[in-house]
Amino acid sequence: MRIAGYKLTLAKRETLSGLQASMISVLAVLTALLLFSLIFIQADVNPLEAYKEIFDYAFFNSYGLPLTINRFIFLLLSTCAFIIPFRAGLWNIGMTGQLYAGSLSAFAVMYAFGVKDAKSAEYPALIIIPLMILAAALGAMIIASIAGYLRGKYNVNEIVVTMMLNFITFWLVSFMIKDGGLFMNPGGRGESFELPASLYAPLYKGVPFTLIFALGFAFFLHWLFAKTKLGYQIRAYGENPTGAEYAGISTVRIPLLVFIMGGALAGLAGYHYFAAVPGVYKIARSYAFLGDLAFYGIICGLIAQANPIAAIPVALLFGGLTNGGRFVQGKMHLGFGIDYALLGVLMITLVAFQFFYRYQFALTKAEKESPDV
Amino acid sequence: MPLNNIKHGDTVLEAKGITKRFPGVVANDHIDFEIKAGEVHAILGENGAGKTTLMNILFGLYQPDEGELFVGGENVSFKSPLDAIDLGIGMVHQHRKLVPAHSVIENIILGHPKAGKILDLKRAEEEIHELSRKYGFKIDLRAKVWQISEGEKQLVEILKALYRGAKILILDEPTSALTPIETEMLMESIKTMSSEDLAIVPFITHKLPIVLGISERVTVLRHGKVVSRLKTSEATMKRLAREMVGREVIFRVEKEEVERGAPVLEVENLSALNDKGLTALKGASFSIHEGEIFGIAGISGNGQSELVETIAGLRKEQEGKIIFNGQNISHTSSLERWQAGIGYIPADRIDVGSIGEFSLIENILMNYYFDEDFSNRGILDYKKARKLTNKIIDEFGVATPNPETTAKCLSGGNLQKIILGRVLSRKPKLIIADLPSQGLDVGATEFIRNKLIETRGEKACVILISEDLDEILSMSDWVVPIYEGEIMDIIPGEEAKREGVGAMMAGVKLEEARS
Ligand SMILES: Nc1ncnc2c1ncn2[C@@H]1O[C@H](COP(=O)(O)OP(=O)(O)OP(=O)(O)O)[C@@H](O)[C@H]1O
Ligand SMILES: [Mg+2]
Repeated sequence: MRIAGYKLTLAKRETLSGLQASMISVLAVLTALLLFSLIFIQADVNPLEAYKEIFDYAFFNSYGLPLTINRFIFLLLSTCAFIIPFRAGLWNIGMTGQLYAGSLSAFAVMYAFGVKDAKSAEYPALIIIPLMILAAALGAMIIASIAGYLRGKYNVNEIVVTMMLNFITFWLVSFMIKDGGLFMNPGGRGESFELPASLYAPLYKGVPFTLIFALGFAFFLHWLFAKTKLGYQIRAYGENPTGAEYAGISTVRIPLLVFIMGGALAGLAGYHYFAAVPGVYKIARSYAFLGDLAFYGIICGLIAQANPIAAIPVALLFGGLTNGGRFVQGKMHLGFGIDYALLGVLMITLVAFQFFYRYQFALTKAEKESPDV
Repeated sequence: MPLNNIKHGDTVLEAKGITKRFPGVVANDHIDFEIKAGEVHAILGENGAGKTTLMNILFGLYQPDEGELFVGGENVSFKSPLDAIDLGIGMVHQHRKLVPAHSVIENIILGHPKAGKILDLKRAEEEIHELSRKYGFKIDLRAKVWQISEGEKQLVEILKALYRGAKILILDEPTSALTPIETEMLMESIKTMSSEDLAIVPFITHKLPIVLGISERVTVLRHGKVVSRLKTSEATMKRLAREMVGREVIFRVEKEEVERGAPVLEVENLSALNDKGLTALKGASFSIHEGEIFGIAGISGNGQSELVETIAGLRKEQEGKIIFNGQNISHTSSLERWQAGIGYIPADRIDVGSIGEFSLIENILMNYYFDEDFSNRGILDYKKARKLTNKIIDEFGVATPNPETTAKCLSGGNLQKIILGRVLSRKPKLIIADLPSQGLDVGATEFIRNKLIETRGEKACVILISEDLDEILSMSDWVVPIYEGEIMDIIPGEEAKREGVGAMMAGVKLEEARS
C-alpha cells in the first residue's frame, strides 16, 4: 500500500516489549468498542451515550461499582487459576468444576457446625471462616489434582479431564442443593441454605476482604515465576518438557503441582462468590451462570499473555463490561444478550490483534533509499 | 521463470550489499555473493559469522535490511520462502524439519503446492523415483522417517527440495550429523547434481576436508563480512582455517599421559529399550577410571544414545547395574545423578539441551537451579547466574550481544558452546559428551577437544560419543566400537586402528576384524 510517497508494509516483529504489547491490547479494546458501535447505531442508540452509561454504571455508580469489583475478584482468581497451569503449557478448562467443588467444601464446613438447622445462632467466625476458606481451596485442589496427576503420570489430556470434571461437579452441586440434598435450603427453591449473618465474610467499605486474596495472588504469582526455583521449573516445563526432563525437573510433579495450585485459586473464587459477596451468601439457583463466568478466566489469561499482573486490568475491564452491559440492556431497552455480544466482539478483536504481537506495520519511503552508512 | 534457460557457468544468483541487523549484532554486513550454474560453492565462517542468516535471506525466510537479490539477472524480492521456491530455490536447514511418524514420500509431498490438488500418490512416487535414480539416491520411499538414518533423512530433505523444482540448492551443515560413509555418499550425490547444469549447490559446513573435496569456490565470512573469496584449487586446510578464525589452528590435540586413577563408573550387564520398545542396548559391561576418555564409536542409532541416557538417569534400565563412585545409582533420579557429579551433554541441542524461549542466563540455570549455591530457600540467585553466564560466554567465546538474548537467537555453534560451557563449568566427575563438537567451527572444535582432555588431569573421566572416527581416535584412551546395541570390543587407544574400528562399527565381529 502506498500513501503519499510512503510505502506501508507488513514486517515480522523480532522483539516485543511489554509496553508495545499493552499498547496493542488498548488499541484492540478501542477497536472492539468502535465495531460494537454499529450494533448500537443499528438499535437506534447513540453509541457514545451507551458507552457512557456502561462505564458510568460499571465504574462510577454506587450500585454498579461494588458489583464490578465482586466480578473482578472472581474473574481475577479464575484467571490466575488458568494462568498457573498455562505457564507449564497445560490448559485448565476446569475452573468451573473446581470452583463448584470449592464452594461445596466451604458449605460442608458450615454444615458440620450445624449451620443449616440453627441459622440464627452466633457462630465463632474466627474459626469457621478460615476453615471455610481452607476447605474451599482444598476441595478444589483435590478435583484439580485428578487432572494434573493423570497428565503427569499417564499423559492423559488435561483438557478432556477438566471438562469432564466440570460436568460431574455441576451435577454434584445440583444433587447437594436441590430436592432433598444435604445442603438444600429449608424453603426449597433449588438453592443451598444461607449463611448466618455472623459468618458473612468481613467487608471493608462494602468490598469483601477476598479482594486482598485476588490482588495478592496476582502479585505473588508474578514474583513466583520471576524469582523462585519452582517458578523456573514450571516455566521450563512449559517451554520445553524434554529439555526440562533433561535438567532433572520431574515431569510428573510439575503437572500435578500446577493443577493443585490453580485449583486452589479457583476454589477461592467459589468461596468468594457464594460466601463473601453481599446479597448472595448461598449457592444460588443460578450457579451455572458463575460457572460460565469462570470461563472468561481463560480469555483474560490469554489476553494477558499469561502475565498475572497484566491480568489485573484485563479482569477489571471484563468484570465492568459484563456488569455495565447488562445494565444498559435494561435501561435502554436493548435486545437480550447485548452484554454477551459485547464481550464476544471484544474477545474476537483481542484475539485478532494478537496478530500484531508477531507482525508490525512499517512505513518506509517508497523511493529507493541510498544505504545509509 | 528466470532460471529456465541457463547454461553452465552462467551466474544464477547474485546478492549485492546484503545487510541484516539483529538487536545488538550485524549478522550480515554488505555481503556481495554470487553462484554460477553447475558449481558447488562453499560458505565458510566461524560460529555466528552469519552463514545461516545469509542463506535464510537467499531463501526468503528473512528480509534483508539493505541490499538486492538477482535471480537469473532479474531483481527479485522475497516476501516468504514460497516466493523463493517458486523461483527454483530450495533449502535444507541446519536443524532438520521432517515429520518422524510419516513416510518418506509423505514428507516429500507435504506442503508441496501441487499436493492439495493432485495427491496422486502413485504418480508422485514415480516422479520421485525418477528423480532419485537420476541423482543416484538410494532410499525406500515407503519407510517411515523415524526408521531411516540421519544420512537418509538428509537425502529426503534434498529430494523434497528437488521435487519442488529447486534449481539452486542451499545446504546448511549437511554433514554435521552424518557418518563418514554417509558423508561420502552424500558428496557423490552432490557431485552428480552439480554436474547437471541446473543443480547448483551453495554449501555450508565446518568440515574442511569436505569443503576441499567437493567445492569449486569458497567464500569465507567473518563477523558478517566477506573476508575472502577463492578458488578451492588454491586453498589449503590451514589457509581456510586461518581465514575463518583469524589465527592458526593446529588440527591436532595434545594429550599428556595421566595416571589411571580409581574407577569412577562401572556398568554391569546393562540393557535398555529404545522409544519404540525394542531392545536397543544389550548387556553392556565396562568400567571407566579417573583420567580416562572412553570413546564410543558407532553409526547413530546403534544404541549409544540409549546407553548414555540410561547412565544419565533419563531412561530406565531393563537389566543391569550402574555403579558411580562405588555406589549403586541404578535407582536414582537424573537430578540426583547431576548432584552426584554426572554431567550430560546431549546430542540434540535444540529439543533437549536448551530452551529456545529462555534467556541464556535461564539456559545456564538448567544445570544449576538445583544447586545450593544458586538458590536460597527456593529463591533463585539470578545475579549469580548472570555472572556465571558472562564467564561462560567469555571463556567459550560465545558470540551474543548479551546474556539476556534468548537461546533461539543464537547460531547453532554458539548454542552448542553454551551447553558445553554449562556442563563443563560444573566440573563433573563423569562427563557424558554426545557429539560434543557438532556444528562447531574449527577453532571451537579444537578448543573443546582440549577442554575435554584437560579434565583428565583433574581426575574426571569422559564418555565421548562421536561418529567422527578421527575425533574418537585422537582423543580416546579406550576406543569402543558399538553395533546394534552391542559393545564389539574395548581397545586401548594406542592400539586402535582406523580400519579395524571402522569394520566393527559396521558389525564385523572381533575375531574377523583383528585377523
Ligand atoms: N533470529 C535472530 N535474532 C537475533 N539474532 C540472531 C537471529 N538469528 C541469528 N542471529 C545472530 O546473528 C549472528 C549470525 O548468526 P548465524 O546463525 O547466521 O551464524 P552462522 O554463521 O550460521 O553460525 P553457526 O556456524 O554457529 O551455525 C549471530 O550472532 C546470531 O546470534
Ligand atoms: Mg548456522
